[in-house]
Amino acid sequence: MRNLRYITAFLSLSGVLFACVVLHAGNERPAGFTTRSIQVATIQSDDEISVPAEFRVALYEHLVHQLEKQGFEHVYRDGDRNSTNAPNLVVLQSTVRRFKPGSERARQVTTVAGETSVTVHCQFTDQAGHTLLEQDVNGKVRFFGGNLRATYDFAKKASRIANQKFITDGK
Amino acid sequence: MKSKNLLRIVPLFFAVVPSSEICAQQSSQPVKAVQIIGLPAVKENEKGTLAVENGNLHFVHGRGTSDISTSSIQEVVTGADSQKAVGKTVGTISMAAPYGGGRFLSLFRKKIDTLTVEYRDTDGALHGVIFTLPPGSAETMRQELIAHGAHATVVIEHTAQASGSLRKEKNQ
Repeated sequence: MRNLRYITAFLSLSGVLFACVVLHAGNERPAGFTTRSIQVATIQSDDEISVPAEFRVALYEHLVHQLEKQGFEHVYRDGDRNSTNAPNLVVLQSTVRRFKPGSERARQVTTVAGETSVTVHCQFTDQAGHTLLEQDVNGKVRFFGGNLRATYDFAKKASRIANQKFITDGK
Repeated sequence: MKSKNLLRIVPLFFAVVPSSEICAQQSSQPVKAVQIIGLPAVKENEKGTLAVENGNLHFVHGRGTSDISTSSIQEVVTGADSQKAVGKTVGTISMAAPYGGGRFLSLFRKKIDTLTVEYRDTDGALHGVIFTLPPGSAETMRQELIAHGAHATVVIEHTAQASGSLRKEKNQ
């Protein structure tokens, strides 16, 4: 009789714990939200940060290329009229939060100095504008390569995050 | 007296006409350029020549040509940067040179201009292209693009290696 009480208590406790875990997992990302269509908006920057035009363009172009590589079937560019009919479209809005231009010469001569780094706030929203995911992503070049390589590093990381959240995890 | 004046004027006329023709040719002469990123179906760091022809920004490279209509261009920005004078394979191998020889070689750099173009395709999608050009030619190219109908804002940009500061004044 006492054993039966213990078993009942254990089972009910386990049930509560399981429910908590399921609910918590549900809060992390929209349940079952998968998509293979994404639109990349133009790269913005905070008012006090000035980002050279070539960096803005390189961020945008690398982002488009890397998202295509990561398995998104349709990667729409900013202003693309074809995106209006795309189902489950996710829009990626990127804002540069921090930018350190660095110096390729300093990197090559000293090895330790001259790092180029860029921190971009990535916001993934649905078509209605509801935020699905927000994250700061960093891109940097420490040793080899030109300053623009930091934009490639950022794009690789951001596209990997997008893949994980909207393609891999959704399956 | 009249024949003397005529003799003076005629050579002057012939001297002026060809010089204006030369100026026109210079403005549309192709410039050596490297496409860093952005042109559809063109590999990154593809070398070629860049010119403004028939209302298009015309890039000729080893595998063909690419055109961007100047009327579709929304922004043209020039900048200045530098790159290794001894680059690519030799530059990489030189890093293994003893007594910091590779680092010493890294001190030698050549100046380059950058030309950044933003345009929209027929679907309204935004594209961005970055070219590097010989020093002094990016601003000429920018002026030519504006003359052919490209939109641009006045940008006074410092070198990319500097503080990254960018002063922008709206013109159009």
